[in-house]
Amino acid sequence: METAAYNKGNKPLMTISRKLGLVAGLSLLAFSGGAFADTVRVTIAEYSKGTGPYFEEAAKAFEAANPDTKIQIEVVPWDSLQQKLTTDISAGANADLSIIGTRWLLDYVKEGIIAPLDENITPDFKARFIDTFLTPSVMDGKVYGLPIAASARAMYYNKDIFAKAGIDTPPATWADFKTSAEKIKALGTETYGFGLQGKEIETDVYFYYGLWANGGEIVKDGKSGLDSKAAIDTAKLYKSFIDGGLTQPGVTSYSREDVQNLFKQGKVATVITAPFLSGQIKTEAPNLNYGVAPIPAGPDGGKGTYGVTDSIVLFENSKNKEAAWKFLDFLFTTEQRTKFDKIEGFLPVNAEEAKDPYFADNADLKVFTSLLPDARFAPVIPGWEDIAQTTSGAIQKIYLGQGEIESTLKEAAAKINETLK
Amino acid sequence: MQRASVPYFLILPSFLLTAAIILWPLKEIVSLSLHDVNRFGMLKDFIGLEHYRSLFANPDFIAATWRTLFWTAAVVIGTLIVSVPIALILNEDFYGRGIARILIMLPWAISLTMTAIVWRWALNGESGMLNSALRDLGIIDTNIQWLAEASTAFPMQILIGILVSVPFTVTIFLGGLSSVPEDLYEAAATEGAGRWDQFRLITLPLLKPFINIAFVLNTIYVFNSFPIIWATTQGGPANSTDILVTYLYKTAFRMGRLGEAAAVSLIMFAILIVFTILYVRLAMREEKQ
Repeated sequence: METAAYNKGNKPLMTISRKLGLVAGLSLLAFSGGAFADTVRVTIAEYSKGTGPYFEEAAKAFEAANPDTKIQIEVVPWDSLQQKLTTDISAGANADLSIIGTRWLLDYVKEGIIAPLDENITPDFKARFIDTFLTPSVMDGKVYGLPIAASARAMYYNKDIFAKAGIDTPPATWADFKTSAEKIKALGTETYGFGLQGKEIETDVYFYYGLWANGGEIVKDGKSGLDSKAAIDTAKLYKSFIDGGLTQPGVTSYSREDVQNLFKQGKVATVITAPFLSGQIKTEAPNLNYGVAPIPAGPDGGKGTYGVTDSIVLFENSKNKEAAWKFLDFLFTTEQRTKFDKIEGFLPVNAEEAKDPYFADNADLKVFTSLLPDARFAPVIPGWEDIAQTTSGAIQKIYLGQGEIESTLKEAAAKINETLK
Repeated sequence: MQRASVPYFLILPSFLLTAAIILWPLKEIVSLSLHDVNRFGMLKDFIGLEHYRSLFANPDFIAATWRTLFWTAAVVIGTLIVSVPIALILNEDFYGRGIARILIMLPWAISLTMTAIVWRWALNGESGMLNSALRDLGIIDTNIQWLAEASTAFPMQILIGILVSVPFTVTIFLGGLSSVPEDLYEAAATEGAGRWDQFRLITLPLLKPFINIAFVLNTIYVFNSFPIIWATTQGGPANSTDILVTYLYKTAFRMGRLGEAAAVSLIMFAILIVFTILYVRLAMREEKQ
């Protein structure tokens, strides 16, 4: 979810022969691993350098308390997680537990690959969670995953640049934001008011911030909201930022990481992104004087931030469901959650954990948590990745000035409606 | 009768091994491409050629196909044009030739993905090396956003493609040049042939088989080459730099449409086979003449 988004050496369609090799290798493992009564294999997405060590340590602590169970952690880079799971599942060689993007969950549940957790979930257990974060992984009234990582988006702004341009407060509305960006441009220092992402994963999400503010929806009543007035207004708004020289030039060559880097270098005055940027700034640009503010609101006061959770799920074909559940129970204790979220810079999902002074007294995180009531999650619909791709393509065309705004959005909406059918 | 069957019997083990490695996966992919397949590779209904039909109705796929052909032709021909003079120079005996050879070969030692990522940084609009170099040289005043549009991104990707294909091609040519007997040139020189005539009438014809090999191998590599385009633009913006491999990867692992992806890979396979057979035939006919 929140790692460097460019791929490092992903291989094209893994050939069947390699899959075979994998199966052979794993069956060997199965023979050699018989010393313990239960071995629970867990596939973990690597969010940062700290992820692997954290889970190894948690596994050790769990094994010490449950000597019959062995936990085997497999760490996979986030970018190749989907590919690994797809390949493992088609070969029947998947782990017992795995982290997955909650937005993929529907596809998995539809195929009956994931086991519902309801019979294990006691009211006490459920009460541990902040509700907002548990709901995205509930489908047909059943809980299919637990939120292992949670995050939301807010606007980081460079206080020094704003002060230089004579602005004291972060922009409350998009109209304010544009005025501020114009003042920043007037400084003539090649700094840009709006750091706008136009490339790779989540290009569409950057567009939704404005869409929500204008009162639009990604999908409404089973139809794409991309041809709505709100979407057209948003596209015009963003385009006016681009054409006015208020964003960094060449937005379509900047991925989210690239825009964040521009922010760290002080070349853009704002960037909309997740809490983990605070941590990066602390180590990479400790002198940057920044603040965190809500994403600007629309003319009618509309707001919205993007909420993201990753879920940890239990596979239907697991032979150690009971031991696996015990490990889940352990991972979601307040102590373990606090440790993990501090390492990764995620938002607390656990109500007790949120009271920990680390989260409660942190000025940056407070802004993020205050936005949660307005948080929207990726809609739970089949073909979400398709829709994201179509949306990104359409708005890239608009950013580049290669398509007339209304017709480009209408065309994309028609394509999305086709996918939604 | 018995004698005639012995050779077949002897190659049987290697044939079986080859079949298991090549033919069996091929059969699996064909079957994937003819079925409705879910994200996890489980076969559902048999749907015949439906995947192929929807592919050919998809403008992004058609555009990616043409772009792949252009990409392959541009990189392969560009590489050959650059490599021949480099090989000729490196074949001369001059002071420091060893170092020059190492410098040319060096990019080969770096993984393609790493090279591509370094270029992604170098081409960054605001903090990239290329822009700052061009600005320091006074060639440009404002930064060029290389990767923002296909019109600048794709030519750069082709140049990177040529750069990384040169070492391999030069190696083949150097091998070829070392087999050209020196006395041919001496004889030609005494007959009054200039350097250009020597190149045209001696070097080039003798180098021909090596150019053929370099051509076919490079075509196969470049046609299937994933890292350069993926690391720099992921086929974007708006699919405008997609080639078939990146399109295939997105279809399979982003969208989870394995059936359609299998169809793409078979189409790629078919294009390559047809091309290779055509080329080998042409080359052989020429040789016979």
